Amino acid sequence: MTFSVYVPAALSLLLAAISRIVVARTAPTRAAAFVVAAMLCASAATWGLILLAATLLGNTSLVTEEANERGVQLQDPVPALIGVTAVVLLILGTVRVVRVLRARRATIRELRAVCRSCGHGELAVVALDAPHAFAVPGRPGRILITRGLLSALDGDERRVVLAHERAHLQSRHHWLRAATEVCAAVNPVLIPVREAVAFLVERCADEHAARVTGSRALVARALTKAALAGGATVTTKGAPGITPVWPVALAFAGCGVSARVAALHSDPPRPEPLVPGGVLALGVATTVAAVQATIAFFQLIYWLWPT
Amino acid sequence: MASRASRSSRTSARRAAGELEAEVLAALWAADGAVTAAQVRQAVAGGLAYNTVQTILVRLYEKGLIGRVADGRRHEYFPVKGAEELAAEQMQALLSRGQDRQAVLQRFATSLSVEDAQALRAMLRRRP
Repeated sequence: MTFSVYVPAALSLLLAAISRIVVARTAPTRAAAFVVAAMLCASAATWGLILLAATLLGNTSLVTEEANERGVQLQDPVPALIGVTAVVLLILGTVRVVRVLRARRATIRELRAVCRSCGHGELAVVALDAPHAFAVPGRPGRILITRGLLSALDGDERRVVLAHERAHLQSRHHWLRAATEVCAAVNPVLIPVREAVAFLVERCADEHAARVTGSRALVARALTKAALAGGATVTTKGAPGITPVWPVALAFAGCGVSARVAALHSDPPRPEPLVPGGVLALGVATTVAAVQATIAFFQLIYWLWPT
Repeated sequence: MASRASRSSRTSARRAAGELEAEVLAALWAADGAVTAAQVRQAVAGGLAYNTVQTILVRLYEKGLIGRVADGRRHEYFPVKGAEELAAEQMQALLSRGQDRQAVLQRFATSLSVEDAQALRAMLRRRP
């Protein structure tokens, strides 16, 4: 138990490292594979924490008395300090998950309210000069665009934006993002996976827009113009006295637009198996480790069952 | 089987019409002031037939999404702005929320660092 219970944490680190390294080169359609791997890692790691926390029960009088009565020699699988740490981590994780889910729900509710104020129909336009475009999930999903963005682009480029946002809605990318956000909240080691998935779903939507409009160069141009229309609002990372607006997103998305444009200017992604072997192996390994840890834990406590 | 095929072709036709409606509406919003059908046709991608543009404009008008004014024999069209100020205020509020909330927004284009902006401008110059 002492070994396999820590394996999911180690594998989460590995998954995070992989997603950092391969994200620029992997096929965008693999986003879902990363989501599944992250979910397995996050749930296995959480289960490991629960098991570690449960070892604290070995110190309670209830269990020790029962053990004395039956003449069982109690084992002390892990130091109490680790059990306590596990409890603290579980509580912190729960708080973060609640916060993430609340932020999500509130943001989507507000986006829908903006759409309603704009009138009905698929496209909702806000009379703002700042260039923004959002896919607002719902039944039906809507596309929210500012007037600033629409007037910065020509007819072909506006078509790109619409196709891009429609791809998000049709492929339900918000679920992939929500899942990885929860995983990263449960297990902050997985934050790079969340950023990788955020990047990959944008790439998916870009490639979809390229298929719809028939030109990857056009998508690259629309993206470039949209990004430049916003102006360089965030200064160089590490510049003294200036805090980036979205530090977490910037770890990745700061260079996200240029990376997406560069990807559109290079060869189209080759069709690759949806699940990369490495990610699949990781998922299987964490599951096996979690099962092993569980078996080890029940071996510790099986005597509690009446024979 | 046949019915499924016809249903799927019908949905794709309907979706295409919906896509065109969104594009025409987007063009009207991008334009400054009321514009004629001919001007809309120029502002929409893909060289649509004049009649197609006309049909879409009429449909959008019937849905109450755009308004029109008569200018001689022609009509000029403009987007119906709904609760324009309310929407702008709500959006401003949303954009100025904290970091937690920003992370949820799936942006078409994120804000850029100075180097990124330079790199993108260079790329735009190289490939117009």
